Formats: sequence, structure tokens, C-alpha cells
Amino acid sequence: MSILTHPLHLDTHAKAHSLSADNHLEIHHLTKQFGAFTALQKIDLSIREGEFVCFLGPSGCGKTTLLRAIAGLAPQSSGRIIQRGQDISRLPPQSRDFGIVFQSYALFPNLTVFDNIAYGLRNRRDDRHGMRNRVSELLALVDLAGSEAKYPAALSGGQQQRVALARALATEPGLLLLDEPLSALDARVRVHLRSQIKALQARLGVTTIMVTHDQEEALSMADRIVVMNHGVIEQIGTPAEIYRQPASAFVAEFIGSMNFIDVHPEGSHALRLGQRLLTCPNHDYADDYQARLAIRPESIQLCAKKDGLAVLVEHIEFLGAFLRVTLSLEDTQQRLTADVALRDAETLGLVPGAILGAQLPTDALRLYPSQEARV
Amino acid sequence: MIARLSAFGSQHFSSETLLRLIALLAALGLLVIGLLFPLFSMLIKSLQDRSGDFVGLANFAKYIHTPALVGSIANSLFVALTSTAIVVGLAFLCAYGITRTCMSGKRVFRMISLLPILAPSLLPAISLVYLFGNQGWFRGVLMDESIYGPIGIIIGMCFWIFPHALMILTTALSNSDARLYEAAEALGTPKWRSFLTITLPGARYGLISCAFVVFTLAITDFGVPKIIGGQFSVLATDIYSQVVGQQNFQMGAVVSVILLLPALASFVVDRWIQRRQVAQLSARAVPWQPTPSPLRDRCFTFICYTIGAAILLIIGTAIYASLVQFWPYNLSLTFKHYTFEALAGGGWAAWFNSLTLAFSVALIGTLVIFFNAWLIEKSEGYRSLRQGLHFLAMLPMAVPGMVLGLAYIFFFNQADNPLNWIYGTMAILVLNTLVHFYTVCHLTSVTALKQLDPEFEAAGASLKVPFWTTFRRVTLPVSLPAVLDISVYLFVNTMTTVSAVVFLYNSDTRLASVAVMHLDEAGYFASAAAMAVLIFFTSLAVKIAHAALTRLLLTRAQSWRQTSQTSTA
Repeated sequence: MSILTHPLHLDTHAKAHSLSADNHLEIHHLTKQFGAFTALQKIDLSIREGEFVCFLGPSGCGKTTLLRAIAGLAPQSSGRIIQRGQDISRLPPQSRDFGIVFQSYALFPNLTVFDNIAYGLRNRRDDRHGMRNRVSELLALVDLAGSEAKYPAALSGGQQQRVALARALATEPGLLLLDEPLSALDARVRVHLRSQIKALQARLGVTTIMVTHDQEEALSMADRIVVMNHGVIEQIGTPAEIYRQPASAFVAEFIGSMNFIDVHPEGSHALRLGQRLLTCPNHDYADDYQARLAIRPESIQLCAKKDGLAVLVEHIEFLGAFLRVTLSLEDTQQRLTADVALRDAETLGLVPGAILGAQLPTDALRLYPSQEARV
Repeated sequence: MIARLSAFGSQHFSSETLLRLIALLAALGLLVIGLLFPLFSMLIKSLQDRSGDFVGLANFAKYIHTPALVGSIANSLFVALTSTAIVVGLAFLCAYGITRTCMSGKRVFRMISLLPILAPSLLPAISLVYLFGNQGWFRGVLMDESIYGPIGIIIGMCFWIFPHALMILTTALSNSDARLYEAAEALGTPKWRSFLTITLPGARYGLISCAFVVFTLAITDFGVPKIIGGQFSVLATDIYSQVVGQQNFQMGAVVSVILLLPALASFVVDRWIQRRQVAQLSARAVPWQPTPSPLRDRCFTFICYTIGAAILLIIGTAIYASLVQFWPYNLSLTFKHYTFEALAGGGWAAWFNSLTLAFSVALIGTLVIFFNAWLIEKSEGYRSLRQGLHFLAMLPMAVPGMVLGLAYIFFFNQADNPLNWIYGTMAILVLNTLVHFYTVCHLTSVTALKQLDPEFEAAGASLKVPFWTTFRRVTLPVSLPAVLDISVYLFVNTMTTVSAVVFLYNSDTRLASVAVMHLDEAGYFASAAAMAVLIFFTSLAVKIAHAALTRLLLTRAQSWRQTSQTSTA
């Protein structure tokens, strides 16, 4: 088996299946159609008890549809959903065990914070006193103690978000669903709430699924990330796996920044780039005429011209902690970007027009089928 | 255990979804029985002879060959088109004055301009007779022309349709984006060109929609031509005279079908335009604020208050005429015309009946229509059922009151109809009036519901709360202003309508608006004016109470509503 091209998630996926006793949620062959449009296509996924999973993808990839199918708010066209061993595929939302925070929060504007949080508790006919205690407990949990009598409109966006979270947690659901919960907030509040939600989730140990299009959010919060595109799962893995070993060119491009270079495989050990022959680990593209070599900007090491591929420095962008350098390969005119620490820039003599060498470390390389082959 | 749980679950599934389905089907049943079946009966009737045998289009052929009847088509079109041109023009001027100038007394003018809605359309006709009739004060103004005929009809129509047109155009013109005008000014565009290239295009959908609403109201109105039409017959009065005068139900049905056509056509065109209308106003639009311009402002103040004076003159004439002993010979004041003793029409009992009917329709109608709109707007699934319901809810706007009333006779008065028992009761009046005014209430509800967070229902469901609880605790309270608007709209329209109910009352359920007509027919003009004025003041009192109640509720809800408004602004 080749290291370079094998998507790692298959291993973890297989492992997850073998441990199905620990699974909180199992989704089998879930498909959702809106008329002729297929929003979700045969999704298979299992989520472990207590796990924090993010559905990540561009808008329209089906991540929110999948979340709403799990909640029963937009029932699937076919496929099954098993929660803790019980088939919930056909249950309405009322009979499923989950709490949800909507993108808009959907706080009831005419009810106080207390009534909002107690909304689901009233239904269980809890005694007044118990309910009061539960609400103040929840408010303390989200750092809003004493806000019972306020109306949602009197709260800031971040506070509303936390009330929505408290409301969703009030009934002690086994599964917490978060639909882009931070997207409506200022950048600063967002970063703060991110760690707060993560800490809360870890403390309560509630299995959580969060939908987001913000990769930074997913990378920093999730135990595992499910990357989706066009209604299918592209990759499932830990944030590190997703970042380091993207299973497809889409994932590689969507998460972080990535350089793609067209190369010609020669045998299963080498790649031709212009005049140069790059040595690399085993790959499966020996029979293809062309393939795409991917490398992250921070993995490219600049050096003296003689020590690497000859590159021309075209443009330097100052980004504070580092410089983002646009290079063009002398051989093939293909463009690359590299991130260079400020300190290194000086020793290298990095100025526009300079000709330097670039090293592509073998362990940072990924190889994908060429774009023509994909079509 | 698992099997039992899922069995419980599916039971839960069926109970709540089943209830929704039943409610949707009930809404469908209401509109099918209250609208579709009667209209269908009417169509059938137009194809039958007196003994009930199918005769194809023979009745229509007979209609075409009766000049007295065919002439009404041209009469109706003439009156409706002329009124449309006048009303849209005047209403546009006034709406422009209200929204785009710094004219003084805007609020007072808006209040005056709404007054005609509170009166039955019979009232302006009665006033016009007093003003321009054979013994009227301003008879000379008409030279030798008679007020009885097209002139009177057109003036009367303009009076009571004006508020409808003004409301639509004020809304259309108040949607303005100051940035466009600033851009035009920066490019050195003259004012008249900004008007032609920015103002008019921006209001074009409002103008078209307004023209169709006005045309439909004018061609279907019964009250004005009934009182002041004289020998000049129009389609709406033909239906009445065929049915009530000549007991010729088949011909009544034929005229109804013909009257249905222009109304339906205008409805279809209006829907088509509405669909093409896209929101021209982005959320970032900056509302345009008029700057003072003494000459222009004075001109518009003059125009608006001339119209306001005409409105007050007409209402004032009716009030005055109802209070004088014997117009024009003995002008001493008296309340004797308000006793209605031993006169046609039912007197105060009719007024009480109208009040009962108006409160019933306002209460039942508001709840039913708002709940149905909520079902249509906020349910998952049953897509085609919900779309069908929405279409049915839009349809009553295209059905003239006379046609609906006659259709009810045909449908509910059949001996083999199991609902035959409601014929001649208050119940049929409630059902008929509710359906007659369904569309505007439905649209108001839908607009209010669309403004709510689409996830309220989902949030409620995720918290395991049944949908009716979320409806009661959140949706209804948050939409309360719209709900109150609907109820007062229903009340006022029920109080003032003549057209649909004129066929459906019986001796126990006489109505005030019909009494106006009967008093006028019997020659008790002062009492007819008195009854019309009574209706007017009843509507006015309810409208004022509504305004006070809305204010009270809004202050009570201020804690959450006002803040939420400022935070979104």
C-alpha cells in the first residue's frame, strides 16, 4: 500500500464500525432528495458517545440538510438513522433525543430568558421549584447567572447564543446539534465562545454535532471532522488527519492553503517536474500521464538555488508573523506560494526578482489525480 | 423494549401529524364548501332552464339578444374605467404628498382619507342625492345633467374606493432609496427626470396593483349604483333586479358569470405581476427624507385638503341630512329619523343583527383565517395540499360579493343539500362574509408570519413541545398586531357590506346595511341616511377602540418588541 495516496480515514472508519457498541449515532445510506436535486447521497457515518463532531463544507454541500435529517426536521428520502441502538429514522422531532441551537437561535422574543429556557421543561410538568433551580443552574453554566427576567432583545448576540445553548441543554438531551451557532457573531466574540462551548461540551460529555463552514472553527473545536461536498462525505478524520493527509484534492484545497503542481508520474517511485525527476514514496499513479502534487505553503523550504528546484521570487506579501511569497518554478512556469518566517527572509536574501531554490520535503507531499482525469 | 419504544414513537408521530393533516383538511373543507361548491352550483345554474334541465349556452344567447342587459356590460366598463383613472390619479397625488413632500397636516389628512372605508358604499350615494339631487344644494353645478346615472355612480365610487388606492400607493411610494436620488443629483439630473426614472419605476408595481384593485372594486360594487344609478344599469344591479325583481335566477346566474370574468381576469393579471415583482429594496437602502420646498409643499397641502374637504362634505351631508326635520323645507334638527319606527328594513333590530354578525365574523374569522394561514405557511409536508389551500385563499378576492351571495342561494337552498338548514340563519351570513373577505386577511396573516423566525416551530418541536403550544405561546402573541388588524378589517367590512348578504338574510336576520337600501327604496331618505350614519359611527367607534387596544398591547409588550425593533434597525 502506498503512503502517498491512501486516504487515512478508511482505517478510522473501519475502527468506528467495529466499536459499534460505543456509537451514539449510526447513519446508514442516508439519501435526501429535493425533487430532482440530490442534497445527500448515501451518507454513512457513525458518531461515538461523547464525541464532538463537525460537519464542514462549503455552502450547499448538504451539511445542514444532514443535521436536520438527524433532528427529524427534514426527514430523509431513504436510509436509516440509529441512535443508541434505536431506529429513529421515522420518528418526528418530538420523539427524538436531541437539543438544537439554530443559526438564528430562534429565541422566542415575547418570552423572558427564564421562559425560553424553561420552555421544554414546562412540558415535562416539572415542579416550579425544580424548574427554577434548573434554569439558574443552566444560566450559571453559560455564564449568564441572574438574567432570568430579561427579554432576548435586551441581550447581545453572544448572550442570545448562550441562552439558546442553555435552552437546548435544558432537557438534558443525549445529542446536541449546533447549526452554525457562531456565524452571526463578531469575530472576537466568536473566538471566545468557541473555547467556551468546547469546554462546556467536554464538561458535560454530551455527544455534539456542529455544522460549520468555517474551517478554523472546525479544526479548533472538533474531535473529528466530516468534510462534505456536493452531498457526499469527502473525508472523516481528526483535525490533524484532515489537515496533514487530505483524502482528496477538494479537502486539500478547502482546508488551509495548498499548492498544486502538475507532474508526470514515472514508474511508481518518481515524478517528473519539467527537467527534474523528484523522488518520492510509492504512489498509485504509475499508469497516469499526469497527476497533481500538493504541498502546503509552510512546508516549502527555501534555500540557495543550487540546493533545490530553481524558483523566481515574483511577489512578497507581508502578513505580520510571516511572509507569503509567490514563486514561479523556472522550469515549468508553474506558480507556488511559500510561507517564510521573517528571520529566514533576511538570510535568504528574499527580494522580488531573486532566484532561489525550493525544497519539497517528501513527507509533506500528497498526490492527487490530475484535473482532466477527474472530469 | 426497543420495539415498544418505537411503537410509542410512531404513535406520537401519528397523533401530532395527523392532527395537522386534519386541520389542513378542515381548512380545505371550509373553502370548498364556502366557495368552490357554491360557485360551481352557480355555473350549473347558468346552463339550466327554469325547470332545471340542461340547456347549454341558451341562457347566454338570450342574454346577448337582450339589449337592456348587454348594454350593462358597456355601462359597467365605462363607469369602472373612468373611476379607476380618477381614483388612481388623485390617490397618487395624495400619496406623493404624504411620502415625498413636507406638506403640513399629514396625519390629520391620513385620518380623514380613511373615513370612507368606515361607511357603506350606500352613504356617498345618499349624500350625493342630497347635494346634487332634484332638491340638492348644488344642483346648478351639474347644469342639465342628472346626478342619477353615470356621474353620480362615478363620484360615489371615487369616494369610497379612494382610501384603498391611497393605502396601496402610500406603501408603494414610501419604499424609496435615498442613495438613488443622491446618485442622480450628483450626476446633475433635473428633478423631473429623477421622478420619471426613479420614482415612477419604483412605484410601478404598486400603481398597477392599485389600478387592478380599484377596477375590481368599481366594477363589482352594488351599493352606489343601487342608490344613485337611476335608469343607468350596471352588471351588479342587473343581478339584483333579475333575482329579486324578476325571480329569474337563471339570468341572474348568467350575469354573475359575466361579472366574474373581468374580476377574474384582473385577479390573474395582478397575480402574474406580483410574481414578477422582486424586492427592489435591499436591506441596506437608506429611506429618503423629503426636504422642505415651500411652493411644492403648499401645492400638495392644497390638493390633499381639497380632497379631504370633499370627503368631509359627503360624510357631513349624510350626518346633517339624517338630523334635519324635512330636507330642504324644514331644517330644524331632530333625532326622529333614528327611531326607524314602523319603517322598512328592521330598524334597530337590524343594527343589533349587524353588530352580532360583525363581532362573530371578526372573532371566528380572525382565528380561522390566521390559523389556516399558519398551517399553510409553517407546516412541513403536504406541499400540494398547502399550495392548493393558498390558491383557494386568494380566490375570494376575484369573486364579487353579488356573485358569492347568489351562489350561496343556489348551493345552500337545494333541498337535498345536507347543509340546507343553515340557509336563512345567522350562520350562513357568517360563513358568507368570512369567505367574502378571506383574501386580504389571509395575505396580512402570511405577511406577518413570514416575518417570524422560520425556526420557531422547529425550536418548539426540538424541545418536545406540541405545535399548538408553540402556536399559542409564541406565534399568536408575536403576531398580535396583525391579528388585531385582521379583526378590525373584518368587523368594518362586515358592518358596511351590502352586496353578498343582500340575498341571504331573512326576517330574523335583517342587517343594517341592507336596511339602508330598503329605507331608500321605500323613500325614507332621511332614515336611510340615519342608518348609514349609524353604521359609520359604529365602525368608527370600533376602529378607535382598536387603535387604543393596539396601543395598549404594544406598550405592554414594549419590553420585548421595541427593543427588538431598535436592535434590528
